[in-house]
Amino acid sequence: MPTALSSVAVPARRRFRLSAQTRGIKLMLPVLLLLLVFFLVPVLTLLLRSIMEPTPGLQNYAELLGSQTYVRVFFNTFMVAGVVTLITLLVGFPTAWLLAILPPRWSRLLFAVLLLSMWTNLLARTYAWMVLLQQTGLVNRVLLGLGVIDQPLTLVNNLIGVTIGMTYIMLPFLVLPLHATLRAIDPSTLRAAAVCGASRWQSLRLVLLPLALPGIASGALMVFVMSLGYYVTPALLGGTSYMMLAELIAQLVQSLLNWGLAGAAAFVLLVVTLGLYAVQLRYLGAGRSGMGGR
Amino acid sequence: MLLDYDRLGGWRWGLVGVGTVVMLFLLLPIVFIAALSFGDSQWLVFPPPGWTMQWYQQLLTDPVWVNALLTSAKVGVIVTVLSVVLGLLAALGLARSRFFGKSALQAFFLTPMVLPVVVLAVALYAFFLKLGLTGTLTGFVIGHLIIALPFSIITIGNSLQSFDSALEDAAMICGASPLEVKWRVTLPAIRLGMFAAAIFSFLISWDEVVLSIFMASPTLQTLPVLIWSTLRQDLTPVIASASTLLVAFTVVLMLLASFLKKGSRQ
Repeated sequence: MPTALSSVAVPARRRFRLSAQTRGIKLMLPVLLLLLVFFLVPVLTLLLRSIMEPTPGLQNYAELLGSQTYVRVFFNTFMVAGVVTLITLLVGFPTAWLLAILPPRWSRLLFAVLLLSMWTNLLARTYAWMVLLQQTGLVNRVLLGLGVIDQPLTLVNNLIGVTIGMTYIMLPFLVLPLHATLRAIDPSTLRAAAVCGASRWQSLRLVLLPLALPGIASGALMVFVMSLGYYVTPALLGGTSYMMLAELIAQLVQSLLNWGLAGAAAFVLLVVTLGLYAVQLRYLGAGRSGMGGR
Repeated sequence: MLLDYDRLGGWRWGLVGVGTVVMLFLLLPIVFIAALSFGDSQWLVFPPPGWTMQWYQQLLTDPVWVNALLTSAKVGVIVTVLSVVLGLLAALGLARSRFFGKSALQAFFLTPMVLPVVVLAVALYAFFLKLGLTGTLTGFVIGHLIIALPFSIITIGNSLQSFDSALEDAAMICGASPLEVKWRVTLPAIRLGMFAAAIFSFLISWDEVVLSIFMASPTLQTLPVLIWSTLRQDLTPVIASASTLLVAFTVVLMLLASFLKKGSRQ
């Protein structure tokens, strides 16, 4: 009986599989079409304008890299992204570590706070920092009250404000994936290190950090890349005198209508972003990638 | 011993200290905004001298804010439906086919997620200017859909991966038509993934700022766009009340998502 059944079933299965394969491709067509028309074509057109407007050639790129103002923007962008990544790492690593080893009751709480912060509207969070950091804001008032400073610090409309706001936004993006890496490490390797006489510092330096390195590297890279392209927070907390790359692109389009130069700046941002993601995929495995910079 | 919470010794308190500070750092600004939204100080003095509902009243009686809220909801719902349907089709297609270049296609589907949104926003803005789609509902929907789709495809794709396709074959052998198989076997099995995709898509559309700034016109704007343009002028407490409503809404959706997750584990 079993043989008779399988002799009937096999051709049916095979036919189903084959037709499913071609149908699979048809199913993807709507998304493919949508992305071709409203994603690939517009982005390529924008990049093309960088070498076609106002006249064909590379003069937009020459202007971008030759002008003091624009080089300053690049410097701001990379510096803020670098500093934010560094602070996020220094604070995020112990947090991820704690999250990985806390008893479930407490780790759930910390987890919920991280998720809440991550999913809270970006503008709401940025607004909170604009209010907190202003001249008469709570941060200045507390510092004045404690006698740490004797006149209010300027914490907004400069890179300090941008760095605080960006660190606030990036922390969950580092802590959540890094905590997964740390959880995957077998605690017995660290017990073994202790049994073999390693001090805590030695265990940290020689066992835990090397084992966590892939997670640290991919998390840091992700934070760095996302920071490079961020628009909303730098624009609101940094003001116009401390511009970052994403804001420059927006300004070039909205105020100056200089599409050629905007295309060139977009191209630079795109190449750096996709290049760093490629590095991440190639060397660090397909880590959890986050959302493109807002 | 470094990964045993109970045997960390003195280091435990160092970690707990950092964790507590981080938790307060993440939580306090949100609490602070919620408190200010009920405070009666126009200048956002904290702690507020008294309490009031006037900012909420202003928010909910001003037609500009109400219209923006309605536009946000409308765009969000349309984007959610399209994103789940199209994401489902693409995820099914990816899961059930094998061909040369499939991984490249998959990567292409996910690119909008890693691309800086400002690049996409500027590019779409130029494109929509030519097509006359700026300042239209269609413009908003297309823009939001492009960045919501990758999340939909990933979420539904993940639930398809854990679904045993032999069940489909079994239904087929028992005489079900291909459409019946999809409708009565596949879809019920992955419905939690589809709910999650719907929540993600809605939140992405609901919170989207950058694309929306470029799509908006003075007569048609979403809530984030209105908050953005108001913020550029002053820090009025009305924004605190709008932000608090957004946070409350997010919390509700998050709770819903966590219930779904719990349901899927059982």
